[in-house]
Amino acid sequence: MDTSVFRLDGVTKRYGDLVALDNATLEAGANEYISFLGPSGSGKTTLLRVIAGFEAPESGRVYFNGKDITNLPAHERGIGFVFQNFALFPHLTVIQNVGFGLTHGKSGLSAAEIERRSLEMIELVGLSGMEGRGVDQISGGQRQRVALARTLTMHPKLVLLDEPLGALDANLRSRMRNELRAIRERLGVTFVHVTGSETEALAMGDRIVVLDRGRIIQVGTPDEVYGAPASPEVAHFLNRFNLFDGTLSGGTFNGVFGAVPSPQAIPSDRSVYAVRYDRMQVLPVSAKVSGPSIRARFVASEYLGSSMMNFFEAEDGHVIEMEHHLSLGAAQEFEPRQDYLLTWNPDQAIVFGREASR
Amino acid sequence: MTSQTTIQKRQATTTRWLLLPGIIWMSLFLVVPILMIVYVSFWTQTTFNISPDPTLASWKQFFSSDTYTGSLWTTIRIWLIVLACTFIVGYPTALFVGLFVKSQTLSTVLLVICVIPFWTSFLIRVLAWRPMLGKEGAINIVLMKLGIIQQPIEVLLFTELSVIIGMTQIYCVFMVGPIAFMLSRIDRNIIEAARDLGAGFGRIFWKIIFPLSLPGVVVGAIFVSVMVLGEFATSGALSGRKVNLLGNIIVTQVGSLKWAMASVVGVILTVVMGIVIAGFLRIVDLKREL
Repeated sequence: MDTSVFRLDGVTKRYGDLVALDNATLEAGANEYISFLGPSGSGKTTLLRVIAGFEAPESGRVYFNGKDITNLPAHERGIGFVFQNFALFPHLTVIQNVGFGLTHGKSGLSAAEIERRSLEMIELVGLSGMEGRGVDQISGGQRQRVALARTLTMHPKLVLLDEPLGALDANLRSRMRNELRAIRERLGVTFVHVTGSETEALAMGDRIVVLDRGRIIQVGTPDEVYGAPASPEVAHFLNRFNLFDGTLSGGTFNGVFGAVPSPQAIPSDRSVYAVRYDRMQVLPVSAKVSGPSIRARFVASEYLGSSMMNFFEAEDGHVIEMEHHLSLGAAQEFEPRQDYLLTWNPDQAIVFGREASR
Repeated sequence: MTSQTTIQKRQATTTRWLLLPGIIWMSLFLVVPILMIVYVSFWTQTTFNISPDPTLASWKQFFSSDTYTGSLWTTIRIWLIVLACTFIVGYPTALFVGLFVKSQTLSTVLLVICVIPFWTSFLIRVLAWRPMLGKEGAINIVLMKLGIIQQPIEVLLFTELSVIIGMTQIYCVFMVGPIAFMLSRIDRNIIEAARDLGAGFGRIFWKIIFPLSLPGVVVGAIFVSVMVLGEFATSGALSGRKVNLLGNIIVTQVGSLKWAMASVVGVILTVVMGIVIAGFLRIVDLKREL
């Protein structure tokens, strides 16, 4: 029995010599919210376009609702797509945009029924009273809702969102995030959301799919991905870890901070030592530390409301970040261009290396 | 408060200075000549002389003569036919260049190819149709060699048809350019979105592509109309003087120093153009679109 809404099986796509997607395999259940996270050029948008049917894969199959849809054109797939720039019809009003698919597709509904369904959807996305406006007379956030409503009127089982929040300001972004979740819970639709922002992926996804250079490098809940990144690349995209290169041998990691016993290592081509920003501790240079430590010069700090980011520069030019949650007490004051000793509890570090633990 | 009013005052002064060259130019070379033509159309014309005594004689003569009113209707008929032909030939071309060609470079190259005929003089472009369309011209020779026709087709040259063929070829690019420009500005995602919502190609064309290209059609139509309505060279060279447009009448009247009559026709032509342009501008709000 195939209970998944969609399934990718070894999907590969090339643009000339460039491998945009390399053997991507993935499965998604009903009523799930999945985030594709990766830097630009990682293939996340290509993957989304392959699922939507705007691009054909070179090899591999795409299944939707248990059927092989690899060779089905986009409009016959019954998958909704929300474009990054919303792609609204600029010469039509809000309600004409929302009702476009029902009016001009194969719905066969009466004009009255189309209007009823369009109005219902406009109400759902909170745009009642704006039906008659032109789409160039509304704000960016409202346009985003029109794009979403236009897709949702077609009652798709799966909605693909291409960086849907990228064009919005921070305030609207967090509001839309909550509303997208609410809409999904009401309609029971599976959402796949492509984003370059790690906070968005962590906040919105039931599951996060991390992509790098066309390959899926980790799939997991936000908790799993954040707590246990599968590779140094994942740790890098999450933008929450200080990464140190070094060598791992005999259960000991040798880095700029000295040798640290690392009995538990995650298999990886590269040997990398990762410490979360908020696990770093800052001590005066004179302090005696037993664990790993690194001498670094304080550069600047950045106030983020709930926390304070402090930036240090090590002797080799490597920037080390330290996050202090303000709920744990007032932030330490550091003297600019002064040296400090940075340390951490080695048990909380994540070690990647060729020599995996048994 | 005071500083703000000073800034506003200074901006107003700047605006006036920037407007000045345009106003001077337009007055000297547009407004004054038009007023002059209107004035001269009421002058008294004798065979060898013209005097500024006001009279309606030339106007009466225009509207009571079948030759003159006939040329007005010919002008309007030829204009409508050429407009339709340039649209029928130009829109699909523009659709291809502006929308179907994905590469920006290729679409620019194709547009330049459309413009290449303009590298030669206007007269050469017109006269080149003679060896093409003539009784012993290229088209007749090819058709006879292929055995499609036994006798050369004579209606090809020195008829209204040859004027229409010539004008359509010359003015088509003015239709293609603006339409292709508007089409190339359409966001491809919009078309993909419409397709994703289940609309077929026909629906996408009529509901999305055509309405969005309409400003281009209007601009193209204005270009073609203004040029065809004022035409005299193509009709002179390709019709053997059989097709007389208002432009041809002006040329003949000026040639025989009948300034008053030439002015009457000039005023009528200007009024017709004004009505046509105003009509086209009602279709779309160009200020909003461009």
